[in-house]
Amino acid sequence: MLKTRIIPCLDVIKNKVVKGVNFKNIRVMGNAVEMAKYYSLSGADELCMLDINASYQNRKTFIKTVEAIAKVINIPLTVGGGVSDLSDITDLLNAGADKVSINSAAVKNPKLIRQASLRHGSQCIVVAIDGKRHKNKMKVVIKGGREITKRELISWAKQVQSMGAGEILMTSMDTDGVQNGFDSNMLKKVTSNVSIPVIASGGVGSLEHFYLGHLTKSTGLLAASVFHSGKYKIKTVKKYLSSKGVPVRT
Amino acid sequence: MRKKVIGLIDGQSGNIGSINKAIKDIIKGRPYRLKIIKGHFNYSSFDKIILPGQGAYATLMSNLKKLKIIKPLKEYLENNSSYLGICVGMQILSDWGYEDKITRGLGVISGDIKKFRNKKLIIPHMGWNTINLNNDDTIITNSFDKKDFYFVHSYIFQNIKKSDILAFTLYGQKFPSIVKKGNIYGVQFHPEKSHKHGLNLIKNYILKS
Repeated sequence: MLKTRIIPCLDVIKNKVVKGVNFKNIRVMGNAVEMAKYYSLSGADELCMLDINASYQNRKTFIKTVEAIAKVINIPLTVGGGVSDLSDITDLLNAGADKVSINSAAVKNPKLIRQASLRHGSQCIVVAIDGKRHKNKMKVVIKGGREITKRELISWAKQVQSMGAGEILMTSMDTDGVQNGFDSNMLKKVTSNVSIPVIASGGVGSLEHFYLGHLTKSTGLLAASVFHSGKYKIKTVKKYLSSKGVPVRT
Repeated sequence: MRKKVIGLIDGQSGNIGSINKAIKDIIKGRPYRLKIIKGHFNYSSFDKIILPGQGAYATLMSNLKKLKIIKPLKEYLENNSSYLGICVGMQILSDWGYEDKITRGLGVISGDIKKFRNKKLIIPHMGWNTINLNNDDTIITNSFDKKDFYFVHSYIFQNIKKSDILAFTLYGQKFPSIVKKGNIYGVQFHPEKSHKHGLNLIKNYILKS
């Protein structure tokens, strides 16, 4: 039986894992390579790392960090943040990423999804979608939620699937960073309209939130703060999910 | 003592970094040598060959053809030499692949590579799933039975002889997750991404037999 994946997410600047609510009050949580190694050893099913400040100067150090992490873990690694074209994707795959996640660049130029999946295979192209409610509609947002685009969330999710995305990393900007739980309503809308895997992201604060995330039919559950702060160990989350009858890898 | 030579084929089908590193870690301090195969090779100079693959069947076959690897690889396999195919590297052992376009495979293990039949499934089959061994094996021993490995694929081995299936996995249906014929092994999952059980499997493949 396929297991629900527990995926710690590292928001990275250069080689440091950071945490900030809505990109404000950024705090250093630790060294990215050390944390990645720790999560791989402690039962994470996959790792996600995002370059949250992908400036030209920081990029080189970030890529070196990806290389260093790929060398010390042996679980799948998804890398994103600041991916703007095909050569960025190739660079990250060459650095050792198993999957690359694209967000704003796909919104601006959806053809990039098709080009990337034709070149590298759908299995390594993740489209990250940031959703937010605006005037009673679910819209796609970019720039960390600061810019609301014209795209309607569900039709965009269907479009990225038809253009060859292998997976959707779905973050609700309405719940991200506040630890009140995943956006079940938004996630269910997405999972019931696509047939590719969906990773739920944004809002985990308690063990029950993971379970509620599983009920949205998301096959991956992503979290950052609850793991980085030490509130929960991955094993604790899996033990809890298993007690609720959710299949997990032990 | 002559060192055993392990060939790792770079079919330009995904990154070989992880598997390359895994092999190097295993053979460190042991009488083995690793050679990356990027073109025509002398099939008799290898003791074991590993072919990892991601992406599409047709792409891998056409890459191998361009790189002039098909002919020596077929000669190698016809001699029942030791082989481990990973993901698409397993799939091309079949007669035909049906991904994108119908493509002829290596024809070593009879069967076809076709899409999961159940239309309600989330595809690709992505994540950790359990393997169920049909019988004990010298390399893939009972200790691997019921263990989880990392899968990512949309196509599966079909119309395959029962006797060529070493392990199966459940996802909407039963499908072969490990195939075996003589010394030729194929795994549908990615052992190089499957943490300790995956690394143990690669280790057994290299050190046993």
